[in-house]
Amino acid sequence: MSATTFSPAGRRGRVGAQPLAVLLSFAVLALVVGWSAAPWLFTGNDPFFGVTARKLLPPSAEHWLGTDHLGRDLYARIVHGTWSSVTSALIATVIGLAVGGLLGLASGFLGGWVDTVIGRLIDMLLAIPNFLLAVVIVSAFGFQTINVAIATGVASVAVFARLMRSEVMKTSTAVFVEASALAGGRPAHVLLRHVLPNAYRSVVALAVLQFGTSILTIAGLAFLGYGDPPPAADWGLLVANGKDYPSSPWLVFAPAAVIVVTVLAINRLSRWIRHAA
Amino acid sequence: MSRQSFLPFAARRLGHALVVILLAYSFTFLIISVLPGDPVSNMLLDPENGFTEEEIAPIIAHYGLDRPVLEQWWRAISRFALGDLGISLRASRPVSAMLLEALPSTLVLAGTAMLVALLLALAIAYASQSLPRRWGQGVARVLPALSLSVPSFVIGLVLIQVFAFQLGLFRITDPNGAAATVFAALALGIPVSAQIAEVLIANLDHEAGQEYFAVARARGLRLSQLFARHQLRPSALPVVTMIAVSIGELLGGSLITETIFGRKGVGSLVQSAVVTQDFPVLQSLVSLAAVVFVLVNLAADLLYPLLDPRLRRRAAAGRPA
Repeated sequence: MSATTFSPAGRRGRVGAQPLAVLLSFAVLALVVGWSAAPWLFTGNDPFFGVTARKLLPPSAEHWLGTDHLGRDLYARIVHGTWSSVTSALIATVIGLAVGGLLGLASGFLGGWVDTVIGRLIDMLLAIPNFLLAVVIVSAFGFQTINVAIATGVASVAVFARLMRSEVMKTSTAVFVEASALAGGRPAHVLLRHVLPNAYRSVVALAVLQFGTSILTIAGLAFLGYGDPPPAADWGLLVANGKDYPSSPWLVFAPAAVIVVTVLAINRLSRWIRHAA
Repeated sequence: MSRQSFLPFAARRLGHALVVILLAYSFTFLIISVLPGDPVSNMLLDPENGFTEEEIAPIIAHYGLDRPVLEQWWRAISRFALGDLGISLRASRPVSAMLLEALPSTLVLAGTAMLVALLLALAIAYASQSLPRRWGQGVARVLPALSLSVPSFVIGLVLIQVFAFQLGLFRITDPNGAAATVFAALALGIPVSAQIAEVLIANLDHEAGQEYFAVARARGLRLSQLFARHQLRPSALPVVTMIAVSIGELLGGSLITETIFGRKGVGSLVQSAVVTQDFPVLQSLVSLAAVVFVLVNLAADLLYPLLDPRLRRRAAAGRPA
């Protein structure tokens, strides 16, 4: 993304050394972490218990984001659904990073036939459209949020492997790495001391970006009903439940807005890591 | 690229594509049929599903489920290579017949979505170069990043809420009408357009920094001429790559879009195959998606030397393209 490099006006909107948007993104992320770690601090309402007589109420002082078709408080459901929405995206990212990172590392560092074999495997993973790949894995292993997370992780292996491979190849042909090898450095030493530290930043930036993408993919899978069934409160599932009540649009817009703002904040942080950190 | 160097290049790419298709089929086969333990007979033998002995026998025989896994894999992949997509467990019909029924609707949707995506991406890219720097360009440049943060089902639901329920521009009860199709294509095309726009803007910026661009501007070319001749044309290659890659996005996204808009197409066929655990349908459709993706990207690869004279010259000079 080149959006940061375009204008001299980039100096505007800063607080201290960092752009305002980055600080806001950190604030959003802190709130999301708070929601998932200690949801009861943020809402006193029960996310699973509703009064049917008070169903489909519009937002008010008592119910900040209104109530759903069973009279449950929507804000409480969003807050309590954060843990599962966010940790499953985290699991997906860790799987992609670990498996893809190792594949890319082996491919770029060892070269030769290892590179060829892994290269074909990556091509294969890229050839099956990402979302369909996740769908296939979930449908084979069962409709559960943990399987959704694993499937999303497997679908993101290729992206990590490709980036790691190109980063490793870039540094392992650099002069200082050749020098280190000529000076008698063992491959493990060269790898840990020179290659990985240089690949580190772009891989971390991709991991953060992929965390946001995983939230979107997982929300899509939950929306289609492939995650834990209701009364689970995954953000995507909340949108899916809300869409059946078009006269109460807040049931769709509130959880959707939470997804969008979270992903926007994560994407902004990824860009910040890539350019400034 | 001369003919002597193009043919080996094309042959190598074709071989590569075939290997990838073979691997993709095997991988889905592994996930669907092997790892969780043969879902077909699990489902057939489940008394809740009420299959009779006479129904089970031919299906078991058709899939050779009593054979070793490797033999099953070989049979499955040879059938697939010959165009036999298998039989649906739920509809008891050939998958190919179901696919042919669903295909036209999805082709119309995906084609319109691609058109919408290209037009939107071009408009945003042009705005990013021509609008006043401070605000106009900023907005045009933020738009793609913004829309990539919105889940595609949300785009669809918002379009339905605003344009069908509030403004009454189309009726959700008639999902195949022209207006409904355009809005469905919009929902499917917006994320794709954002990806294309990002690549396009980065390349346009790169071209705008080149010396020949400064020379052309100094010669007094109008902005639109500069844009079309000196920015857009050299950026064609990455854009074609991006279009080819986003075919996967269209295939995957049609699942959600068709479900939301209530269209009957390949995407909703996959969705119902997942919900009803109809594995032969799932295996064939997902493998076909991979085939389409690989072939489109192969075509894009082969197009490059035709699109970009610089690649032809490099190949003629004996350097790798």
